Amino acid sequence: MSAEVKPMPLQEAYNDLVNRSLTRIPGELGRLIYLASTREYNTGHYYHQGLADRFGPGAAQKALEIAHRQAFYKVSAYSLEDLVEELERYLASTKENPLKCLRAWQKLEPYRIAVPEDVNATVARLFTSNLRLALAILRFRQGRSRPHR
Amino acid sequence: MIGTTSALLAAAALVFLLIAWIRADKALRDLPFGSEEWSSSLDESPEACPAEFVSQIFSSGDMAYVERLNSRELERQFHRERNGVALLWVQQTSAVVQRIMRRHVEASRQSRDIEFIMEARIFLQYAQLKAACALIFVGIGLAGAQEVRGIALYADVLTQRISQVAREFDAGLREREMKGVGPS
Repeated sequence: MSAEVKPMPLQEAYNDLVNRSLTRIPGELGRLIYLASTREYNTGHYYHQGLADRFGPGAAQKALEIAHRQAFYKVSAYSLEDLVEELERYLASTKENPLKCLRAWQKLEPYRIAVPEDVNATVARLFTSNLRLALAILRFRQGRSRPHR
Repeated sequence: MIGTTSALLAAAALVFLLIAWIRADKALRDLPFGSEEWSSSLDESPEACPAEFVSQIFSSGDMAYVERLNSRELERQFHRERNGVALLWVQQTSAVVQRIMRRHVEASRQSRDIEFIMEARIFLQYAQLKAACALIFVGIGLAGAQEVRGIALYADVLTQRISQVAREFDAGLREREMKGVGPS
């Protein structure tokens, strides 16, 4: 008698999310921002139509939550130098003007909503603090590379 | 004469420590957007900060990178930001260990057979950790997060040790309860 071991729906949903959706997004910061954007602001619930259709809303929600937390801890562990590079790559990947984008990020701090619920408070602070620094460094580098008149 | 000199020295040291404490406290309050949003969740945060992040917060690698950029303003911002994170870590560590100790004391009160050596060990480590946290707090205010890296890593090890010992104690208590020997 052979028993076929079927992967759990959550594992399947997670694998699908990682292998199909996330691999298309360049950079860990980009993936983090994307995952945070699947979270409903009012309720904190995650939603992804394709995943929910295939694996059920419960498994999809959990898979997104896990992937979001993992991406968050990965980005938070970057050294400042790596984060600056990652941020530069992310800003270049958006279709907007990188300088405009940089200014908006400094002013509005949209990355603050990329922090998942119930993560370690110190790590959350390290994440926002490092991003503020990375933005300041990019701005400084851009100012320096601009030709003097 | 010696007595007066000692008293003056002690008073000077006290004033020095007080100033350092006030500086650290001010740094914590002056964080961009304040520290309230995260520190309010410190009381509920069940776990201490993961060790890899503690090492990163107090590391000098990021500082060396910022120094290479040759900007006084960026260096100032870096110190302000990193000291803020480090001070928050001190608060969190202190809160986590205090909660562990509170839970442990409650469990000990219900237990009939208290092991004196185990209790003394936990208390000693707790006292050491509290002293280390106070020292780190003052050290950050005086010299910055990178200068207290060694003691911060030591405090992190102590936190893990206390959590481990308290967990072992709780597990032992539960085992005795199941055998019907435990709490009254």
